[in-house]
Amino acid sequence: MILVTGGCFQGKKNYVREKFGLTAEELTDGGTCPMEALYSAKALYHFHEYVRRLMEAGEAFSLEGLKEKNPDILLVTNELGYGVVPTDRFDREYREKTGRVCCQIAKEAKEVHRVVCGIGTVIKGG
Amino acid sequence: MLILVSGGSGSGKSGFAEDLVLKLHKKPCLYIATMVPFDEECDRRIMRHRRMRADKGFDTLECYLDLKSRDVTGYGTVLLECMSNLTANEIYQEGGAGSRCVEEILTGIRHIYSQCTHLIIVTNEIFSDGIEYEEETRKYQACLGQINQKIAAWADLVVEVVYSVPVVHKGTLDEIGKGAL
Repeated sequence: MILVTGGCFQGKKNYVREKFGLTAEELTDGGTCPMEALYSAKALYHFHEYVRRLMEAGEAFSLEGLKEKNPDILLVTNELGYGVVPTDRFDREYREKTGRVCCQIAKEAKEVHRVVCGIGTVIKGG
Repeated sequence: MLILVSGGSGSGKSGFAEDLVLKLHKKPCLYIATMVPFDEECDRRIMRHRRMRADKGFDTLECYLDLKSRDVTGYGTVLLECMSNLTANEIYQEGGAGSRCVEEILTGIRHIYSQCTHLIIVTNEIFSDGIEYEEETRKYQACLGQINQKIAAWADLVVEVVYSVPVVHKGTLDEIGKGAL
């Protein structure tokens, strides 16, 4: 498992395509894909939107399930949580949940990359 | 040693800071809690943090305002969480420092650190959501930004936690827990 994080519009997709030699077709959009695509995708971006969709469906993320079915997946997520506490309750819970899920993934991942201005830094493993 | 731990919401900064305290091996340990239990959501957050540190041997001191009047004599390590709450309390709560919040809090930090061996302060990155808030909220952001900068300037170690992964901005984690402290 590999996690790539960073703010929005930082060039994360281009970074993973170059860094890991992926084609556009190999990148699955977590905001629109079927939910089960998580377990077959080579790489999934907009993972924060995937977490939001799980929450909206009242489902929980299962790290165990992902480890079992798709342990080598590359996940790309926006780095949320760097703002003032949102006034809307769902927004608060969403950024918190995304954080907790990404902490779980980062602990499991063999590499964590962080992309700023298109430049990736390996902050774990690598 | 003075340590500043920062990070976004849900980044795992609290768990990381608690682990740092354990690695420093300087007991007894005190947790200074700053969140006012306004409502059920705050209660849940507070309970979650209590569960997280349940077996870690902390005493707890609730401090919503006026850090500079607190006595922590006798404690080896103090963990203060979280600077963003304390700052909001001082600005918005009745009896808080209001416009003097930056000086009051910085005085409080120096006061606490003068009484213990290690002080770990958890703060929060609330500066990068790209939203231009109203004056009151911008004032809060400005105060916390100034406080964070000052603590970082004093600190021996500054760590940002990114989804549980420490990113060191000042100092080094290598010495922690090796008895060099």
